[in-house]
Amino acid sequence: MASTVETEHHAPAPAEPVRDGIWRRPLKNTGLVGFLTTVDHKKIGIGYALGALFFLLLGGVEALIIRAQLMYPEQELISARTYNQLFTMHGTTMIFLAVMPLSAAFFNYIMPLQIGARDVAFPRMNALGLWCFLLGGVLLNLSWFFPGGAPAIGWFAYAPLTDRQYSPDMGTDFWIMGLQILGIASLVGAFNFITTIVNMRAPGLSMMRLPLFTWMTLITSFLIILAFPAITIALVELMFDRHFGTYFFNVEGGGKPILWQHLFWIFGHPEVYILILPAMGIISEILPVFSRKPLFGYPLIVFSGAVIGFLGFAVWSHHMFTTGLGVVATTAFAFLTMLIAIPTGVKIFNWIGTMWGGRIRFTTPMLFSVGFIWMFMMGGFTGIMHSSPPVDAQQQDTYFVVAHFHYVLIGGSIFALFAGMYYWFPKVTGRLMDDFVGKIVFYLMFVGFNLAFFPMHILGMTGMPRRTHTYKSEMGWDQSNFWSTIGAFILGVGILIFVIQIVYAYYKGRKSPKDPWDSRTLEWDTDSPPKEYNFAYTPVIHARDQVWEDKYGVEAKRMEKIAPGKHGIHMPDQSWWPLITSIGLFIACLGMVFHKQPIPLTAEAVFGLEIVIFGLVATFVGMVAWALEGPGGFHLHPDPAEYADATPAPEDGHGHH
Amino acid sequence: MRLRIRTPFLAAAGLAAGLLLLTVGCSLNIEGQQSALDPKGPVAKNQYDIFMLTLYVTTFIFITVGGALAWVLWKFRQRKGDDPNFIPPQSHGHPMLEMGLVIASAGLLVIIAIPTFGGIILKKVVPEELLDGAIEVNVVGFQWWWAFEYPEQGFYTANELVFPAGRAVKINLRADDVIHSFWLPKLAGKVDLIPGQENFIWIMADEPGYFWGQCAEFCGDSHAYMLFRAIALPEDEWEEWLETQQRDTVADDGSFEPLLAREDWGYPEDKILKGAEVFRQACAGCHSVNPRIQTNGPNLAHFGSRTSVAAGWYENEYDLLYRWIREPEKVKPGNFMYRGFLDRDGRTVIMPGLKDYDLSDEEVHAVTAYLYTLR
Repeated sequence: MASTVETEHHAPAPAEPVRDGIWRRPLKNTGLVGFLTTVDHKKIGIGYALGALFFLLLGGVEALIIRAQLMYPEQELISARTYNQLFTMHGTTMIFLAVMPLSAAFFNYIMPLQIGARDVAFPRMNALGLWCFLLGGVLLNLSWFFPGGAPAIGWFAYAPLTDRQYSPDMGTDFWIMGLQILGIASLVGAFNFITTIVNMRAPGLSMMRLPLFTWMTLITSFLIILAFPAITIALVELMFDRHFGTYFFNVEGGGKPILWQHLFWIFGHPEVYILILPAMGIISEILPVFSRKPLFGYPLIVFSGAVIGFLGFAVWSHHMFTTGLGVVATTAFAFLTMLIAIPTGVKIFNWIGTMWGGRIRFTTPMLFSVGFIWMFMMGGFTGIMHSSPPVDAQQQDTYFVVAHFHYVLIGGSIFALFAGMYYWFPKVTGRLMDDFVGKIVFYLMFVGFNLAFFPMHILGMTGMPRRTHTYKSEMGWDQSNFWSTIGAFILGVGILIFVIQIVYAYYKGRKSPKDPWDSRTLEWDTDSPPKEYNFAYTPVIHARDQVWEDKYGVEAKRMEKIAPGKHGIHMPDQSWWPLITSIGLFIACLGMVFHKQPIPLTAEAVFGLEIVIFGLVATFVGMVAWALEGPGGFHLHPDPAEYADATPAPEDGHGHH
Repeated sequence: MRLRIRTPFLAAAGLAAGLLLLTVGCSLNIEGQQSALDPKGPVAKNQYDIFMLTLYVTTFIFITVGGALAWVLWKFRQRKGDDPNFIPPQSHGHPMLEMGLVIASAGLLVIIAIPTFGGIILKKVVPEELLDGAIEVNVVGFQWWWAFEYPEQGFYTANELVFPAGRAVKINLRADDVIHSFWLPKLAGKVDLIPGQENFIWIMADEPGYFWGQCAEFCGDSHAYMLFRAIALPEDEWEEWLETQQRDTVADDGSFEPLLAREDWGYPEDKILKGAEVFRQACAGCHSVNPRIQTNGPNLAHFGSRTSVAAGWYENEYDLLYRWIREPEKVKPGNFMYRGFLDRDGRTVIMPGLKDYDLSDEEVHAVTAYLYTLR
């Protein structure tokens, strides 16, 4: 098998460096070994997507149990503790294990194709990101199986409820350490994407020609590297409070619980934009395609994305309007928050402008995109409402806020991600998803979603606090809760049909041509699915919507293609070390959870820091071996028919990497 | 034959109509116990007014922008029989139009920003004209109940905040365990109670009334059961209430015998005396019945005159009170009355709870009856 890579694409290859022993890197790119050692951004992207979809279903089931419990007043379907665990895990799962990695799946798969790159800048780091994401998700969910069960602290885990005195069980430690690993996943991914976008764009692809989705990938990645250190620090401090007797958040030792809120939200608010900017990027790709017009006001959309990201760091205290901030701080954060409505509004105006005068085709991706605009607009309006602290004084921590962020995160992020999945599925698999079934999914999701979440506005304004596992009938919340639960289940049915559809389409869907939607950007110029090396030629870009210009534009704006040089296309070697490094981290984090805690089969605490040290040694070994195995790589020679219309490479050409 | 979905607009319109009906249906209880849409005091009224303003502004945007969106989707959709290869003009933008819309949105925000500033100050600072006659209350939040202290008179009560209508009440908020949030939707919105810091909120009820409040910040297992009542009394009843609350309710000889005249006990004497004995042994370690002393648990002096039990979850009726003491863990999971108090490690018991006492049904009946003599 090891030689198929060579024989498939090769004319006789130039001599490759021979490697032996532990530095011999795996060549098998199929099967389990191929998957575990892969550095291909496309396989990694699919790995992210499958993991994210699994966790989306898991978080969805948690949500449905929550809604079932709230369907009638004073139900006792589940205990208060279980309910509290469910909403904690639902929130954490949906944010860190579903929406973020689903966005990362698109970053990984689509972004390099959009910029004409053969892979990301650091392929092995990319693999590390995937394994950290999956293992972080596993670690977090392992908590269900240990004494005390999952954490019951809410997704923002306010101190001092997270102190050992109030949450003595291991669930909180699983949460802390799970989030730490997930943070690593996000950070390595973000550094990688920034480097890739800055350095590896095809010739001629200037920043202001970048597809909007790639722009949003770049901005989101900057948000991640600036925001995640804050939560990393907060989590380390909390870990020390729980395990080593420090008092960062404990009043008795001079700590301040409010410190946690500041650290958390200075991460947490940019996180909101980390969740929504990729969605906006996807929408900005799909609307032009199905309106057959370029994006209206491209520079302003890019700029407003950057402004949203920038302002996102200056508004965190609007989550804390009721914590007793002073008049000046409250006013400043309120007005800065209101400002964010402007760049957000700009995007909506420009999306409408994009469709204005176009020729709109209501395919499934387009329906999801239009649904996104409607519901994101609704979420934006309620956001404007509680940007005003006097209004927020009533709405904070009520179902009104729950309605608001679900409009932004489901109506916004999830609908856009579904639009993206319907849109790019043919590119990824070479098969089409049925449009009729897709529309049924859309209508079920749209109706179910609105029925589930619109009544929550009323619930919030009539006084229902969030995170309460039950309520009294006297409150007058029965009807709204009943309909909300019905809506949630309709939404669930829609998503279930989607999952069945995507599995079916993968095996049985109609074959797709390489450009089924008459699209505009570079990823549609290569095969569906793309070959291992993405592009057989090096694209030379002359226009913003290059593929559209190739089809309908003037001669001067057509793409040029440069054939690979005589050495062929240089590809990165696979590697075991990202997986081993991430397993080391996983063990270290699990060891931290078990630190001085009784675990099953042992009544007493048996572990000090032994497991942590073992895990860190494994991580260290992985990193050293990673460095020592060297960059590696091999060359591929695509079939010349694939670059028949390309100009030959310059003589010294080593091909475009 | 294959069904084709061609009319997203009809579907959207249907949905909008459905939601509107639902809204109307569910809004019939706008006067619900905790409805912020039914303000009964100046702070809540101000918050309601600004909310309505934001509602008008956003509705205006929804109609204009949403209307434009709907029109575009209708007008420029690909119709049956249209040339599928038609290429619309490839316009790239309109900077003046875009900047105009930016400025217009900024203008709309100013409309909201100005009253917002007034609202921020109103919530923080009692207006000067209301300072005269204002009373002061200290509130401490615990898992999962509220302690109310009247510092000017020097007594404590729990879970029911009584105050005179038409006068400002200055409330100092503290927490001793985790974060809670004091929320009285009809009077003043909410402010958090945070360990290690003192927060402030003020409330005022325009008329006498009975208001429901609830903890709004997730605070552990029984967060959903952490309610309270706020009772605004007319001036004369308020004076009377103040006077009553400061009276002792039990003998100070350590027997815990009620001071209430025996003919008013309402239960057989031996039952009450047994109840006093059970209370002394199993309850008095945490519950003070002296209005001037606050211990670990809710102060129970004058418990018999309260309207609710278990921090507002139950009405104060014999059967419900009995249930609360008989099986507290079922009524309010995780509560300290049952579990006792634990050390910082979360495991070591430093004060026993009812689970350690194993009271008989008869003893619980006795102590239930006894509690009604505390008034």
